[in-house]
Amino acid sequence: MAELTILNYRPGTSVMHTIDPRFKLVCLVLISLSILNTYPLELGVLTLSVVAVLMNIHVSFSSILKELRFFFIFLFFVFMARAIFTPDVANPQDIELKIVTISRQGLYDGALICWRLLIIVMIGLSFVATTQPSEIKAAVQWYLTPIPFIPEKKVAVMMSLMMRFVPVIFNQAKETLDAQRARGVENRKNPVYRLTKFTVPLIRRTFENAEKLAVAMEARCYSDRRTDPELASTRKDWIALFLVIGLCVLISA
Amino acid sequence: MNLLEIENLSHRYPDGTRGIEDINLTILKGEFVVIAGRNGSGKTTLLKHLNGLLLPDTGMVRIAGIPVSQDLVKARQMVGMVFQDSDSQIVGETVHNDVAFGPENLCLDRGEINTRVATALAAVGLGGLENQRPHTLSGGEKRRLAIAGVLAMKPIVVVFDEPFSDLDYPGVKQVLQQILTLHQAGHTILVTTHDLEKVIAHANRLIIMKDGKIVRIGSPEDLIKETEVFGVREPCASRMGMEIRSWLS
Repeated sequence: MAELTILNYRPGTSVMHTIDPRFKLVCLVLISLSILNTYPLELGVLTLSVVAVLMNIHVSFSSILKELRFFFIFLFFVFMARAIFTPDVANPQDIELKIVTISRQGLYDGALICWRLLIIVMIGLSFVATTQPSEIKAAVQWYLTPIPFIPEKKVAVMMSLMMRFVPVIFNQAKETLDAQRARGVENRKNPVYRLTKFTVPLIRRTFENAEKLAVAMEARCYSDRRTDPELASTRKDWIALFLVIGLCVLISA
Repeated sequence: MNLLEIENLSHRYPDGTRGIEDINLTILKGEFVVIAGRNGSGKTTLLKHLNGLLLPDTGMVRIAGIPVSQDLVKARQMVGMVFQDSDSQIVGETVHNDVAFGPENLCLDRGEINTRVATALAAVGLGGLENQRPHTLSGGEKRRLAIAGVLAMKPIVVVFDEPFSDLDYPGVKQVLQQILTLHQAGHTILVTTHDLEKVIAHANRLIIMKDGKIVRIGSPEDLIKETEVFGVREPCASRMGMEIRSWLS
């Protein structure tokens, strides 16, 4: 579980890889917002664009399906909830099952919402796959700089530490779990007992490590006054941004 | 030339526990010093005073004649510290970013930072792994990454706190080789350990600590037979009356 493959950067030389992370981030936000008001035709155009991008960055579709398997379960629940709870005014009681009534309108709405969510996740995936964590951190720091009362450098370091320590904490969780299974914790059926015995040592160890980390950072002269990350935009980034704005206008119109 | 001067150094922790007491010590430029002692003897507490991570209740530490408390940033740049637990020392999400962390804190320009990162990674043999994520490295590689992170700050003294703990045999040899390379390059080296076997063949001086005090100080040859009195195992070769040889030979 140490590998969060869905959040992994995949080195490459595609166009997406070379675009400035600030531009990629703003494009991601623009598309995610404009997709809220789209219908099958626009969604079809977006799907084709996303597929083209994913092919360009050489991400295999089978790996995407594998990595998104839990997300599909979530989508299924969204779809079912929408199908069951959307009343169809024009065609009441279209498909009547034993317990619930599913309307055609609900099925259509559910499919539309799932399609939109899937495209947003795919775009997010292509963003993460083509942008190094340090670049994402640099872009967020850049956007936060003009906002008063937000210590952008602290936020950037926190993001960096989070990315560094999530796999470490997962490893610790696995170790703690294995150590408890080795002593027969599975024989205890009370989930509260098991949860307590699992979380308390894990949290204690995480805090102890955080303390060591703070000392190690101090030993390397950590302070808020530090070198900023380097970002440079080119003509290509602006062209990409205008293309995305054009696409968003087109699908929202 | 005296590089580190420690005078009457004492420290108690906030809960009243004695950390170290009345330490007097001078370290010469280019020395290789091993500080031995059982767990809780005050080795790490002493090291943390060398770069101002802990400040003394009484006494003083001077580096190249300048008191540590006078300029903490300078002290931390001059005395690089490699901690026992590499996992808690590595802060970057990639190898490159971790090594760059120290130079970024020193507000160096990006070109200089990149040069230092490349030089430090090459020095520890991790060149080519810049984009690797630290948790995928082996124990020995993580320890060497921690050393690279310190080297990128261009210290003159490098302090190692239990550098061989949790390492397999190849890992120990890699780290030992790294320490010797740094020593040959002119760095002053301080190593704390409770396991003399792996490093004592290379030391110029051995310091033994007990209950927060320095109880013996001298050449390894003179003190090696006394170590077990203070809870530190005498190296196997010495017990058998043989010459102590390097783990690298």
